[in-house]
Amino acid sequence: MPATLPDPAGPRVGLFVTCLVDAMRPGIGFAALQLLEEAGCRVEVPQGQTCCGQPALNSGDDRDAADLARQTIAAFEHCDHVVLPSGSCAGTMVHAYPELLAHDPAWAPRARALAAKTHEITSFLVDVMGYRPQGRRLDATATYHDSCAGLRELGIAAQPRALLAEVEGLQMRPLEGNDVCCGFGGTFCVKYPRISDAITTEKAQAIERTAADILLAGDLGCLMNMAGKLHRRGAATRCFHTIEVLAGRADGPAIGEEG
Amino acid sequence: MTARERILAAIRDSLGPRRAAPQAVAAEAAALLENPQATRPRLAAPDLAEAFALKATALGTTIDHVPDMAGVPAALRRYLDAHGLPPALALQPAAELARLDWDGIATRPTLAPDEPVGLGLAVWGIAETGSLVIHSGPDNPILLAFLPLHHVMVLRRDHLLAHLEGYAAAMQGAAQPRNAILITGPSGTTDIEGSYVRGAHGPGFLHVILVGP
Amino acid sequence: MDAPQLAFKERAAAALADGALKIAIERTTGNAERKRAAAVAAFPEFEAARARGKAIKDHVIAHLDHYLEMFERNATAAGAQVHWAADDAEARAIVTRICLDAKARIVTRSKSMLGEEIGLPHALADAGIERVETDLAEHIIQLAGERPSHIVWPAMHRTREQVAQLFMSGHDPAPAADDPATMVQSARRILRAKFLGADVGISGANFLVADTGATCTVTNEGNAELTTTPPRIHIVTAGIEKLVPSTAHAFALLRLLVRSATGGEMTQYTTFHHGPKRAGDADGPEEKHIVLVDNGRTRMLGDEFRAMLRCIRCGACMNHCVVYRQIGGHAYGGTYPGPMGAVLTPVLDGLAQSRDLAHACTMNGRCAEVCPVGIPLPTLLRAWRRRSWRERLEPGSVRAGLGLWAMVARRPRLYRLASRIGVRALRLMGRRGWVRSLPLAKGWTAYRDMPRPSGRTFMEQYRAEQAGRRTPE
Repeated sequence: MPATLPDPAGPRVGLFVTCLVDAMRPGIGFAALQLLEEAGCRVEVPQGQTCCGQPALNSGDDRDAADLARQTIAAFEHCDHVVLPSGSCAGTMVHAYPELLAHDPAWAPRARALAAKTHEITSFLVDVMGYRPQGRRLDATATYHDSCAGLRELGIAAQPRALLAEVEGLQMRPLEGNDVCCGFGGTFCVKYPRISDAITTEKAQAIERTAADILLAGDLGCLMNMAGKLHRRGAATRCFHTIEVLAGRADGPAIGEEG
Repeated sequence: MTARERILAAIRDSLGPRRAAPQAVAAEAAALLENPQATRPRLAAPDLAEAFALKATALGTTIDHVPDMAGVPAALRRYLDAHGLPPALALQPAAELARLDWDGIATRPTLAPDEPVGLGLAVWGIAETGSLVIHSGPDNPILLAFLPLHHVMVLRRDHLLAHLEGYAAAMQGAAQPRNAILITGPSGTTDIEGSYVRGAHGPGFLHVILVGP
Repeated sequence: MDAPQLAFKERAAAALADGALKIAIERTTGNAERKRAAAVAAFPEFEAARARGKAIKDHVIAHLDHYLEMFERNATAAGAQVHWAADDAEARAIVTRICLDAKARIVTRSKSMLGEEIGLPHALADAGIERVETDLAEHIIQLAGERPSHIVWPAMHRTREQVAQLFMSGHDPAPAADDPATMVQSARRILRAKFLGADVGISGANFLVADTGATCTVTNEGNAELTTTPPRIHIVTAGIEKLVPSTAHAFALLRLLVRSATGGEMTQYTTFHHGPKRAGDADGPEEKHIVLVDNGRTRMLGDEFRAMLRCIRCGACMNHCVVYRQIGGHAYGGTYPGPMGAVLTPVLDGLAQSRDLAHACTMNGRCAEVCPVGIPLPTLLRAWRRRSWRERLEPGSVRAGLGLWAMVARRPRLYRLASRIGVRALRLMGRRGWVRSLPLAKGWTAYRDMPRPSGRTFMEQYRAEQAGRRTPE
């Protein structure tokens, strides 16, 4: 539950939960709500949201992707900021929406306006709100994987690390190849499962070599991929989204654990 | 239509009808070279010869210093002795070299397919990269730089240029030789598992005699 | 000697099952990655240099006809004969005719990917001409009867032990040992005789310098000069995108090329070839021919793949590609592998044959990050996916599945209902936190477990909570 009440003067933030978090791990969405409110935001969850459209976009189906872009823009454009607990979906809204709608005179400016106020959550908390978590404690060792879209499309690297550094007792261990793709790639992992598996296996081995208790990352797709592989390999590594730890929710079940 | 016409027509078709005048294209090309220091490495040392030597030796090139051209044969002798090589070599048929005193060293103007040692003059040296420039010509067979196992180059200190652009500028508007080669270290390959082996096809040893006070 | 064309997935599966291949790939690409990183770190101006390199290539592409004509003029003035080839067949015909007219028996070749692209090795064999590959890696794959698997290290798929086997049977006398130095010496001895006995030498070009008419080659072995100097005829085959305005522009790109390709700062031999032997020259060929090859490039100029014409063939994209590093180059099935190959192969071989390549990519963006001329490779791969979708090359099941999903995703209320049902169904399939087998996502559960959804969807819980918040205290 939110520790503080929303600041009535705070910015109006629309939380895009993302389809994966909605279905697979709602706790990440509640962690986002909590952190945004702690940071002084008035958070709402527009009901017009479903998926950012990435499956269509990455399949070459631009028409459906553009339809979902319009739907998302319409649902969120009244907010001061749009925040997502995913670098990948945020990257789609920031970069792909303006491209998808570039030739639509009615929607192109709206897409650009939305892109300009869309943020991945850790960068929003640090770069826009100047937020730092307080009084959080987790006695564990953890390692961090830089999810590709957040890292390369949005430059998310320092922000999650700065936030995690505020968690008392949490020891971060370096991950070899932390900026190398985990092999998820959205539909890639089911279209080319063997190639994906070979990549993911190397990632899992690198994670296991850190001997960290916890794996952290900022995108649920990558986390499910790595967690699923680690579990199949019999590794004991617990996997959380970065903001679950930041919100003090890592005392609950990790990905794949039953509550 | 010939292939030439088809290719040029396809290009013009894609680029559209509104095209810049040749002078404007030239100006744009020149502008792309402005402020070269922003996009090139700084020299390894402030002194050109020192910078050149740092880069060249890092690649396995060896360097000897002599105060003037008259010192070249003795420096060569030192090199041959150090490598246990007989006092014989293929010498570039350049007047500047021919007039030196090669007493005790058998020099030939011809090249054997497996020539042990060849000695030639560098036109320029480039401090940025540790490169030596050679130009083909009546008095400079290109194979002199490739057939010998040991390639010895004489470079005059006052022929050192700071950066690669300096060479481009030096040749601007000049008559171009058939081949202009920037030689940067001995021949090498990493084609077998990435392990570096010297003397792939060309020289396995590159030695520079740097001439100047 | 090419293997029969298998489907991409089969080639990839075969590569994944090849343990020696994995070791060979990792040794070469891992080394290249580390050395490039060190070279870039030692060159703080790299970012600015990259911006300049990109601008130079864009400038040339925007004035391609102008520079082609300027190059032709200056190369001709230097004594070279310039030929134009609209496609690979024309290019092969031109080169073969020059060789046959010269009654050439032995042709030496210095590695050129363009030569591979236009099928020159086969064409020379068909014309009954002995072709001698002089780049060490090309020599290795010629002995093996293979195609290049990397654009900078064509034999990177071969371990040292495998190379030793090829040399033992292919070199007479056989090398005395199987260490790289001894094997390189053996190749040097075998090829030295070929260099000096060749009738024609064929090279590619890393740059075509418009204002001097020079063709520029860069090598570390010195084989380009030994290929182009002794024979009576030197033939250059080059793509029309290789143009640069001047020597200084070539240097600006060379700094990027070498660091990105090998992590070095300068190639050992950077050679500007201006025409044939001059009157009185001590050596050099009597004729120089330059074949300017289009082969799909003007088509790229006119569509969304124009940025690909910037490519300077450094190979950094494949060295940093997670897919390439698992399956190697041959699995791609075209002349060019890796991310740049996945963009180029559909241009050269047709999209229907190669649609897998654009999809076999995780879109992680590392290739674009290391590209020295800023080619947005993932964006270009996405463009192929778009075209493949538009041309209905995607499997019907994929189209139908995505269509159904999009229909639901466009209707938020229906979507919430579908999510609620889907999440409950998925929960039923798993136990103790994990789903071990999913009939509709076998690709996932064949190799990893699927975490069981934690329960109700976020939206269900959130709305319940909101309703609670609204209740007066």
